[in-house]
Amino acid sequence: MKTFHTIIALLLSISAHQLVGQDLHQIIDQQIEQASTEAFAEQATDSEFLRRIYLDLIGQIPTTEEALQFLLDPTKDKRSQLIDQLLLDPRYARRMTEFFNVMLMERRGEDPNWQTFLSTSFAANMPWDQMVRHMVSPDTNNKTTRGSGYFLTKRLEKYGQNPTDFPGLARDLGRMFLGVDLACAQCHDHLFIDDYKQADFQGLFAFINNTYIRQDTDYPAIGMKPIKVKVEFNSVFEEGTFSTGPKLPGLDEISVPEFVTGEEFAVPPNNDTKAPGIPKFNPLDYLAKQLPNPSNDSFNLNAVNRIWFMLMGRGIVHPLDLHHSDNPPSHPELLTVLGVQFAEHNYDIKWLIRQIVLSKTYQRTSAITPPVERAKRRDYRVFSEKPMSAEQLMWSMLTATGQLSHISPKAAVPESGAEQPLEGQVDNTLEAIRTDFLAAYANPPREPETEFAPSVRGALFVLNGPRVLSWLPPKAGNLADLLQRQKNNYADTLFLSILSRNPTPEEAQHFNAYISSHVDKTKAIEQAIWALLASNEFAINH
Amino acid sequence: MPHSKQTHSLCTPEEHTLSRRQLLGASTAAGVVGLGGLGGLVNPLIASDMSAKEKQVLFIWIDGGMSQLESWDPKPNTQFGGPFRSIPTSIPGIQVSELMPKTSQIMHKLAVDRGVSTFDNSHSAGVPRINRGDPKDRGVVYPYFGSAVANLMGPGDSGLPPYVWVKPGSGGFKYQDAGFLGPKYGALAIGEGKPPPNILLPSNIDQQQNLERNALRKFANKQYANARAKTFREAQDFVFDTAQVLMDRRTLFDTPDASDIERYGDTPLGRDMLIGRKMIEAGVRFVKVNSYGWDTHGDNFNAHASLMPRFDQAFTAVVEDLDQRGMLDHVLVIAMSEFGRTPRINGHIGRDHWPEAWSIAMTGTGIRRGAIIGETNDEGTWVTSEPHDIGHFFHTWFNALGIDSEHTEYINDGQPLPIADEECSPIQELLA
Repeated sequence: MKTFHTIIALLLSISAHQLVGQDLHQIIDQQIEQASTEAFAEQATDSEFLRRIYLDLIGQIPTTEEALQFLLDPTKDKRSQLIDQLLLDPRYARRMTEFFNVMLMERRGEDPNWQTFLSTSFAANMPWDQMVRHMVSPDTNNKTTRGSGYFLTKRLEKYGQNPTDFPGLARDLGRMFLGVDLACAQCHDHLFIDDYKQADFQGLFAFINNTYIRQDTDYPAIGMKPIKVKVEFNSVFEEGTFSTGPKLPGLDEISVPEFVTGEEFAVPPNNDTKAPGIPKFNPLDYLAKQLPNPSNDSFNLNAVNRIWFMLMGRGIVHPLDLHHSDNPPSHPELLTVLGVQFAEHNYDIKWLIRQIVLSKTYQRTSAITPPVERAKRRDYRVFSEKPMSAEQLMWSMLTATGQLSHISPKAAVPESGAEQPLEGQVDNTLEAIRTDFLAAYANPPREPETEFAPSVRGALFVLNGPRVLSWLPPKAGNLADLLQRQKNNYADTLFLSILSRNPTPEEAQHFNAYISSHVDKTKAIEQAIWALLASNEFAINH
Repeated sequence: MPHSKQTHSLCTPEEHTLSRRQLLGASTAAGVVGLGGLGGLVNPLIASDMSAKEKQVLFIWIDGGMSQLESWDPKPNTQFGGPFRSIPTSIPGIQVSELMPKTSQIMHKLAVDRGVSTFDNSHSAGVPRINRGDPKDRGVVYPYFGSAVANLMGPGDSGLPPYVWVKPGSGGFKYQDAGFLGPKYGALAIGEGKPPPNILLPSNIDQQQNLERNALRKFANKQYANARAKTFREAQDFVFDTAQVLMDRRTLFDTPDASDIERYGDTPLGRDMLIGRKMIEAGVRFVKVNSYGWDTHGDNFNAHASLMPRFDQAFTAVVEDLDQRGMLDHVLVIAMSEFGRTPRINGHIGRDHWPEAWSIAMTGTGIRRGAIIGETNDEGTWVTSEPHDIGHFFHTWFNALGIDSEHTEYINDGQPLPIADEECSPIQELLA
């Protein structure tokens, strides 16, 4: 780690004097463009930008009206206006909640208190360091934020026949907040990654190996047993026994104080209320101070790298949790500037997102033309296609078909307005819809969703599942209804509503001819809607 | 600290495969298609290059531990022999338990090793350990045999997933078997004989309409494909094509003929074995058929009196069917548990877990039929011949499938890993 930090410090001194007086989005473009002598792709078309920015900032494609409004708007800086508008949209908090829930919990499960923590934090634009402080050391008195404890408690739950996975929790602290996966350094210094030391893993482990899930609360809450000794460990390769107290990589070890037996607790356990004791020494308090801290480079770099990944489709360090000297950042100086400025701006997530999406780098087309044929994802010479999450697909299909206004608010009863109930009754509550989409598209628990991984399961869901098929037939105000009322030019509305763009002349001709040539226009319209929903262009954020 | 065969809680498979893929920059279609566990539908172009592609495996997993004393290696009239007699078989001088009368008649078509000696006597550790061939601990999670075969031999050209698991209970896409090979080499599980979700075309879409909507979809894909890299869209096209193959082959999931059910037995194992045979006939590379409920710590003898005839009937029927169709020439059939059961009879008239001395049966491609090898002592407590660990069997089966197990390695995150325990070797007496 030492070498690594020295490099960062070095880079930092270079950037400081070069980059004064520029907005971060300009620095991003300058850094990306000076790193390559090759050509860069053109800026994205308005339609391409529109779809991308909606998906990235509010987690769904634009409605037909939203798309038309933007595309017809002659204002010169309409892109930055749209960015600012979407950052204020209530759906922004929903999107961030969905993205960060998947990233931080990796589909381990759901908890309403956790959802409340995330959604209220993003709605209020809570700084990232504060959010992390809540996650590693929850304030149980704050009803709005205390669901943050789920990050720790869920990982302490046993699953299958496995024992409580303390090593897994230690590993995830490193992965999620420091960008390092120390898993293979649990039992020995990492075999292939010189920077990853067994002592780093064990130091993280010592923060959490005495935690437990409190049973006396109706929200996820973490308890801490009194700590009397350091963590002792052996290496499978080296002789001898080593020990460590809680310690973050690159920082000093926290000394474990000694207490006379019976004096460990600030508040002793209460047998009547079942309230657990609060020990005088709680390593999580130290973690909350040391981890989300402007002086903690790894924390800063990991945070910006993950937000960059969310928007750009590839981390400057990639994989996101393998930051080490043999897997260096593609643009080290840029990563450093991002990290420093993010910390300087008090970890303002909206500010960082706004700067990135304002950049030309973000606004490049993903279409490949001869000059950029050999571009690699790590160059950012072309915009990288991104997978859509189960949630993005759900909201987008709901939006495209016009089904969004037909969701039953609560009760799991079939919709009365449905003209063609399909294959039995379909529960039209949002919860039921969400369950179906997660079953079809989400990864199994504990697998990061960072790669494009389409599944046969997902294809069968679109091909034959009653969920999406039941959204196709006409009902008041939905897409099929709208199309049915049109005489011959179906394609414009069809493409605008589903793909957020106008059709090419060839596409318009093909789809118009298809619908016109069928006696059963309604069925043909449903077929056309389905074909675009099932298309690759729809399934990819490009 | 001894380098024991323990399992690490970390070093799970995905980070190794992901980091390998990404660090090496390899992004072929096969590399990025995560099929939600739909067992390694690797790029068909790659698959067609593979040798020995016609060989298949029917793997019958008897979960909980079949008693060798009530099946392949009876010890009647001994201290631990239990109440059942032994009967002669189609091989002179070889006897099996009277609980497998049908099997006794096809003994000459089988190979049985009665000298199996393995190392784990708990289900939780034993099941995965045996299924993985108990390799040395290298800090990675090894694939189950089915995932291993799916990876090493590919899906073949049936268009079907390479690893199908027919089982009681839930179906779906089970990625866990794949270990470090990654979720795409997991199993497509058929639970209770039911097909994967959404495999049936809804009744209000006819075949013509299905063709038309997919033609429209493909047309729509053209414009996008014009200017985009292949990786994403090829992966996306591929899952739709595979979904269509499963839809086209949905008769595989139809209710079997009454006469077949009668021959295989109207039992969960009988019905699942029939589906297993159909999957093999349809060209699936590796089919696992699962029977549960063999952990007879209590009332072992009544339990086996009830369980064994179901196995006897289904197993014999499938071997006979494959033989009659000439399919034993290219299908390897294996029947086994995670361990045998204790010769000593416990206080609940049960038998406990006994990895020290048990039996595995097999037949089909590459196997010497009629080879009944290995011996236990008179009380069935210990192996008196050369003991064979599960690693020996993995070597044997890989060789029966035409894979040189001693010179083939997985490469995982730059780390070469032997496909079978390098301290074991093929059992030549079992190989044809």
